[in-house]
Amino acid sequence: MTPATAAVPVNGALGWLASTDHKRTAARLLVTSFAFFLVGGAFALVMRSELAQPGLQIVSTDTYNELFTMHGSTMIYLVITPLALALGVYLVPLQVGASEIAAPRLTLLGYWLLASGGLTMYGGFLTDHGAGRAGWTAYYPLSGGGATPGVGMDMWILGVILAVAGSTLLAATILATIVGLRAPGMTMLRLPVFTWTMLITALMVVVSFPVLVTAMGLLFADRHLGGVFSSPGGPIAYQHLFWFYGHPVVYVMFFPFLGAVAEVTATFSRRRFFGYRPLVLSLLASAGLSMSVWAHHMFATGQVANEYFALTSHALIVPAGLEYLALIGTMVGGSILLRTPMLFAVGFMLLFLIGGLSGVMVASPPLDYHETDSYFVVAHFHYTLFAGSLFGAFAAVYYWFPKWTGTFLREGLGRLHFALLFVGANLTFFPMFFLGIDGMPRRVADYPPDAGFTSLNGLSTAGAFVIAAGIAVFIVNVLVSLRRRSPAGADPWEGHTLEWWAASPPERHNFRSLPPITSYAPLLDRREEPATRPATEGVGAR
Amino acid sequence: MTSTRDEFADLWGLYLPVAIIVFVVVSSAVLFALIRFRRRDGRVAAKRSSLPVAEALAALMLAAVTAVLLTATVRTEDRVDATVRPDLRIRVVAFQWGWRFEYPGRGVTVVGNSNAPPTFAVPVGETVEFSVTSRDVIHSFWIPSERFKRDAFPQRVSRFDLEFDEAGLDGGRCAEFCGLRHDAMGFDVLALPGPQFESWLRERRGAPR
Repeated sequence: MTPATAAVPVNGALGWLASTDHKRTAARLLVTSFAFFLVGGAFALVMRSELAQPGLQIVSTDTYNELFTMHGSTMIYLVITPLALALGVYLVPLQVGASEIAAPRLTLLGYWLLASGGLTMYGGFLTDHGAGRAGWTAYYPLSGGGATPGVGMDMWILGVILAVAGSTLLAATILATIVGLRAPGMTMLRLPVFTWTMLITALMVVVSFPVLVTAMGLLFADRHLGGVFSSPGGPIAYQHLFWFYGHPVVYVMFFPFLGAVAEVTATFSRRRFFGYRPLVLSLLASAGLSMSVWAHHMFATGQVANEYFALTSHALIVPAGLEYLALIGTMVGGSILLRTPMLFAVGFMLLFLIGGLSGVMVASPPLDYHETDSYFVVAHFHYTLFAGSLFGAFAAVYYWFPKWTGTFLREGLGRLHFALLFVGANLTFFPMFFLGIDGMPRRVADYPPDAGFTSLNGLSTAGAFVIAAGIAVFIVNVLVSLRRRSPAGADPWEGHTLEWWAASPPERHNFRSLPPITSYAPLLDRREEPATRPATEGVGAR
Repeated sequence: MTSTRDEFADLWGLYLPVAIIVFVVVSSAVLFALIRFRRRDGRVAAKRSSLPVAEALAALMLAAVTAVLLTATVRTEDRVDATVRPDLRIRVVAFQWGWRFEYPGRGVTVVGNSNAPPTFAVPVGETVEFSVTSRDVIHSFWIPSERFKRDAFPQRVSRFDLEFDEAGLDGGRCAEFCGLRHDAMGFDVLALPGPQFESWLRERRGAPR
């Protein structure tokens, strides 16, 4: 940090646009991705309304195709991945005892690339042919210039390039912070669990995301110059490139929330996180395997080594099981306080489990031949991304909100939010398993009245509106809590990790001093053995 | 050659109970911990933060379950993917947004699109070899009651065998999103006993379709 930047505090509009404080960049990213979430959610509500009854009532088929494309693209490129990275940008420097993120201007650039990528993608709605409408996967040749002409599709491609390049920069600075800016004593095996999950996440991002940027560049070139993917092997080559990004991103959208849930579980169980080393090992194993399972999205193409990819995909059962053992092992023997963050953590454990177990079912090619591209996979990945990752994200928000703002979120509204979301998620997504097995394909605006899909779709649509009510309660909760504040101190939950040593909200450079870093739970160490620790090591910002 | 429908049912009969058992065990453990270890006056949390023996045992158990599932998957996959000398060959050409079914050497072709979906016939109990391809974008040939689909790529032919056990009419459709009328890109498959199938073919031979 140069004296010049330290001397000029940026506030107001300029602060919002140009501050390089990692906490402000993260706050911008959180708010921006939540705004994108509301847009993507609105798309989902329109789609669910259309599907409530057979026949076309609300939108045309063409509009529906734009809606599901933009819904998926929004949630993957602009919501869940950025939410995960925003948590990392805010918390990793604090958790490793750093005063700043590495390369803060690069982090800021990452944010602006991501935000402008989203706006570019949405800009397609204003063009003659409409927005991108080839699905979030944009399989070639459907995404080629012949099958999907128009500027909107080009803007979708450019938007993805910007957003994914921005995500890559954000992850790279998180990675550099962990590698280079750890406080003295913060060894790799003293990194908090959340920081470990971010480290693994950032590694996967920097390896796999540039591949998608490349694929999108090639797709753009094919649309305008031709000849890139048009050979007989072109379409399958595009899928390999896409899924080489597309599977690791699944874990990018999972690990940070697993890490958040782990921190919440340990804190609210008043107990040191159980099974730290096996968890670190299993994270490394999951990350390695996640780079070698991509073609399980392509079993039905008949053009990949199905049994090899079934092997690597099934192997993920072992590290995933150990991750669950660590969470349950932390609760067993603990002293559990069931506040809203812990409620969402438990919701994450139960619902992600359904996502994971149905994931095993699609990892088996003979089962996947039937399930792929049906509503079964729609149910599967919404259990992982919505009922899993988003529940983890809300656990994180309720847990760290006092750190970010200095005030608690309301407990009663939090419980209502959780109840609505839990009921809504199951009501929306569980019927989709049956729809898929019964033969309903994904990405359709309509289905025949005699297909037997009507009542299950009705349930699912009702669930979507329960979810919407839950999100509305969350927004009310944030507004009410910020207006009528109930102040939280530096460490309102008896946290274990260094961010709870800083003030709430933390000062510009995070810490005035640091406690001794004796394990991955330094603050818990102080509470457990106050006599053996130098008590006056530092008073921090308290 | 066994039917894909039976193979799916057998493998599903392993995966579904395993999934249900794991869900019940894990969710019970979570809820048990939540109730048994809820915060009360005087409760002090355990200090121990690792139990290597339990962790190693869990890893072994998980590996054993994985091995059982994977073995069943690979065996089933070998049978489903195996091709034999077929009793009948059908060439399938997918296009935006319809299907063309050709019976090579039999002089019969059935074509239909999203406005008038085609119906093609197969003989019951015989091995039918399908070779699917596409004239434009990627489509996917899916017969839900057969529990099987295979993508149709342009400039590529993909071959697989199916067997239809019961006579009757079943729906099929495109499963890979392929543009505007994807949702209406269906077809019907009519499984007929041998003699009736032959007369179905005879009726259509030379018909101007």
